[in-house]
Amino acid sequence: MSAHRLFRFPKPAWINSANARTAGVYTAGALFSLGFYLLIDVAAWSKSAMNPSDPPVHVTFVDWIPGICSALGMLVINSIDKSRLSADSFSYSGNGVAWKARLVLFLGFALLAGGLAGSVVVLVLKYIVSDYTWPTIWMGVGNVIANGMVMLSSAVLWVAQNMEDEYTYNLAL
Amino acid sequence: MAGIKTIIGLSFILAIGFLLVILSAALFKNYLTLLVVATYVIAPLPNWICGRAANPDDFMESSGSGVVDFGRFLTGFFVVMGIALPTLLWHANSIDGGAAAMSIFGGLLIYGTIISFTLFFQEDQEF
Repeated sequence: MSAHRLFRFPKPAWINSANARTAGVYTAGALFSLGFYLLIDVAAWSKSAMNPSDPPVHVTFVDWIPGICSALGMLVINSIDKSRLSADSFSYSGNGVAWKARLVLFLGFALLAGGLAGSVVVLVLKYIVSDYTWPTIWMGVGNVIANGMVMLSSAVLWVAQNMEDEYTYNLAL
Repeated sequence: MAGIKTIIGLSFILAIGFLLVILSAALFKNYLTLLVVATYVIAPLPNWICGRAANPDDFMESSGSGVVDFGRFLTGFFVVMGIALPTLLWHANSIDGGAAAMSIFGGLLIYGTIISFTLFFQEDQEF
């Protein structure tokens, strides 16, 4: 295996341990929770007495759409069994399983990236173009951070699950 | 080995945690912070349920570890929720900053007690 190595530094051994995988999954849950509660925070702050905007600016359904897209994308990405991605290289699993997996995965990534891009669109079009000042802009900034957190959580979960696959592989051999 | 001293100490810490959370609610006449207790009490539940649902012995079947991972994901979600919820309420001016800090600290004490109890209990079961 080491003869096929591309990089000068070897992958540290702890990456494949079961503990690192478990910690990755916990971290993913924590990051998703941060993103989710940032969204809730923006909505609660919008209706609270802390919102100083005059005329009043509130969170509408438009602000929720990017978050919904991101969460759906994360759900789609992590529902896919990662080992199916290379299924076509084996002769016994035909019927284009890998092709379908890649299509669904592409949809998931598109939803995730669309969520992040959509939150930036909401920030620019609804808050920055209208020349709102800082405490009001928080509703847009918090939305962007929340979607970034969901994306980060999805990436961490993806890496953790791939770790698990290699760990299982090493164990099976 | 978990002796009687450990149990007494843990229950003491649990009592302090509950005291902090209840004080944070009662001192400020605002009972929203009691949500933290509920959060930390249900935080370990997904791990237990999904641990029962999955079979940890078969390594070839990936369906089992998916369920376990989902339980861990939910646990991480609930633990951060216990910190995020008081902060959110404080930011929206529903509770005071002091109440938020007290409920976060008390909630962390409660959760730490639950986790330590589980650890000691599991150690007992293995032998």
